[in-house]
Amino acid sequence: MEKMKMMLVDDEERFLVTTRKLLTKKDIEVVTATSGKDALEILRQKNIHVVILDVKMPGMDGIATLKEIKSRFPLVEVIMLTGHATVESAIEGLKSGATDYLMKPTGIDELIGRAEEAFQKRQRLEEKIRMAQTRKFMKSPRDILREAEKPE
Amino acid sequence: MSLTQKLSERGCFAKVSTGNHLKPNHYSTIRKIILISMILVPFIPFILVLITGYYYFATALETSKIASMKRIVNDHRQMIESFLNERRADLEFVQNAYPFEELGRPQTLARVFQLLQNKSNAFQDLGIFDESGVHVAYHGPYELKGKMYRHTEWFQNVIRHNYYISDIFLGYRQVPHFIIAVVRKENNRKWVIRATIDTLMFNDLVKKIRIGATGEAYILNVDGILQTDRRSGGHLMEQDSGHRPHLVYHEDIRIFIDKDAAKHNFLYATTWLKNWQWQLVVRQEKADVFKALRTATYLIVIISVVGGVLIIGVAFFLTDRIVRRMQQLDAEKDQLSEQLIRASRLAELGEMAAGFAHEINNPLQIIKNEQTLIEMLTAELKQKGELKESENLIEIEDSFKQINLQISRCAEITQAILKFGRKTEAAWQDIELNSFIPEITAMVAKKASVNGIAIRQHIPDAPLCVHADPTQLQQVFLNLFNNAIDAVIERHKGNGGEISVETVATDNSRVSIRIHDNGCGISPENLKKIFSPFFTTKPVGKGTGLGLSVCFGIINNLGGSMQVSSDLESGTTFTLSLPAGKS
Repeated sequence: MEKMKMMLVDDEERFLVTTRKLLTKKDIEVVTATSGKDALEILRQKNIHVVILDVKMPGMDGIATLKEIKSRFPLVEVIMLTGHATVESAIEGLKSGATDYLMKPTGIDELIGRAEEAFQKRQRLEEKIRMAQTRKFMKSPRDILREAEKPE
Repeated sequence: MSLTQKLSERGCFAKVSTGNHLKPNHYSTIRKIILISMILVPFIPFILVLITGYYYFATALETSKIASMKRIVNDHRQMIESFLNERRADLEFVQNAYPFEELGRPQTLARVFQLLQNKSNAFQDLGIFDESGVHVAYHGPYELKGKMYRHTEWFQNVIRHNYYISDIFLGYRQVPHFIIAVVRKENNRKWVIRATIDTLMFNDLVKKIRIGATGEAYILNVDGILQTDRRSGGHLMEQDSGHRPHLVYHEDIRIFIDKDAAKHNFLYATTWLKNWQWQLVVRQEKADVFKALRTATYLIVIISVVGGVLIIGVAFFLTDRIVRRMQQLDAEKDQLSEQLIRASRLAELGEMAAGFAHEINNPLQIIKNEQTLIEMLTAELKQKGELKESENLIEIEDSFKQINLQISRCAEITQAILKFGRKTEAAWQDIELNSFIPEITAMVAKKASVNGIAIRQHIPDAPLCVHADPTQLQQVFLNLFNNAIDAVIERHKGNGGEISVETVATDNSRVSIRIHDNGCGISPENLKKIFSPFFTTKPVGKGTGLGLSVCFGIINNLGGSMQVSSDLESGTTFTLSLPAGKS
């Protein structure tokens, strides 16, 4: 089974360092970025499954980053991390396609739990996509039509 | 962004200026301006009216007095002249009726005199003179017969003019008198008839005029000698010193004001009689003539003084009231702006608190992660045996747990603050009071029952709806219930308290909700201030004084109204009136 690849995006560097250590110890592959721009650059280079994204950041903020991620890498699952005062923006994030949101301070286990859920969601999605693609290859158009008529 | 940066950004460290305190001389300036305008504005028309009125009255009075004076002089002149003319006509008649010789006989003369006397008793004696001036015949009280008059002034005048009325003179008899003489030409010779006029009678005729207290009439000759007595002093044949300058000839009647010898101002009216020999003078003291004017002047002065005092008094009174009211309003304004500043500070503080909480969550997150890492590392070290089980290690682990616990506590606090500070938009909806009110009473039921307070609800079964934001409405009701409970506790101390809630549909569009308690009530002076912000009767630290003012604001925003009635005996009733919703 594929291992979850995670990216933390936050302007607090110490948070990134410590959390990476913790996640590495839990055997999770993790990269970090200190800004929305860096995050997008990393996403372009690497295959990342789940992004933990701080809402409030200098420069490009969480919501803008999220929108950019969702438009360029639609399959990436994003979990918003909020300092609570920005619950509204977290909700806006959810509307813009974030998978989940977490409130600071959050425990590492909580974080991993949510990330796993998001990862599984992504995996299911990928599975469906794969399935669809294989069916497309295997079935004749008539079969596909018949399949579509059948109620699920 | 650091906290201090944020704080200074929010103006927390900046000094907030308190209300503009007006300088005390500001009021004195305003006072001066109001006072001056309040005195001057009524005063100017007031004085103008008085002056105009006085002027027109004085002019009218003068005109009418002068006219009446003129009329009197005219009438008097006519009367005197007609008297003299009549006497002359009498003599002429006699002269024409009798020839010189016959009239020279004493019996005839006596009879004629008798006849004249019958007609008018103005004649005192009667005499006949021949051309040479010899007194030929005489009838009268004096022995004048045979006397020679050729060189007397009157005789010369009468020969020259055929007719003569003399000034008053003493003559042979040494008694003041005047004569009328007429010449007749008969058979180429002239003869003269002369009559003496009763001075007393003539005197009375002239003197009898009387105007006001000081009005009088008299006659002067061209030399300014009095020809009649003068009531105010001055006898026959005396020189009248007062108005020589005015003894000038003039055709008509002259009116003028002059001082007499005693320096009294007189209004004079003069006219000339019998070919400018005599001047008829009618005069009246000026003060007497214009007595009405003087009375009016006194009245005007009194009115001016009283009116002026009244205007000034009212001006002072009103100015005082206005200025005091202004001061009061300014003080209230200052107070209000101070309260506003306090309120805005409080709002600022709330917002800042939310900011703090948010910012604190970031370090808390890091602390939490660090703590987790330490715990994990310790566990690893323990597993590898590099860290031996010891009492210290247990202590350290206990500390970790404690840190974890405290972090959670901080997180709870920040979350609570954030929840408080968050602005939520009002979500308007129709609220069924039948279920809404019991929900709220249930929230305070515990607190009420602990303090022995019964909550009674009089809510009709028929559905009753209001259109409002439930969160805000809940806040209002909770606030009112809590206040009611506090009031009841203060009075009944845990026994016999009662709070009742009642809903009434006042009409189709409004619903009224009454919350009544039998608590300690509110004093009338406090009742006035109950909705003002920061007013509280609770001890310092217990209440912010914002509850009811916030409730008032909420109810107003909901388009409703809030009223309170209270007395110290029976407790307090709050009545809310809210727009009805569709049930």
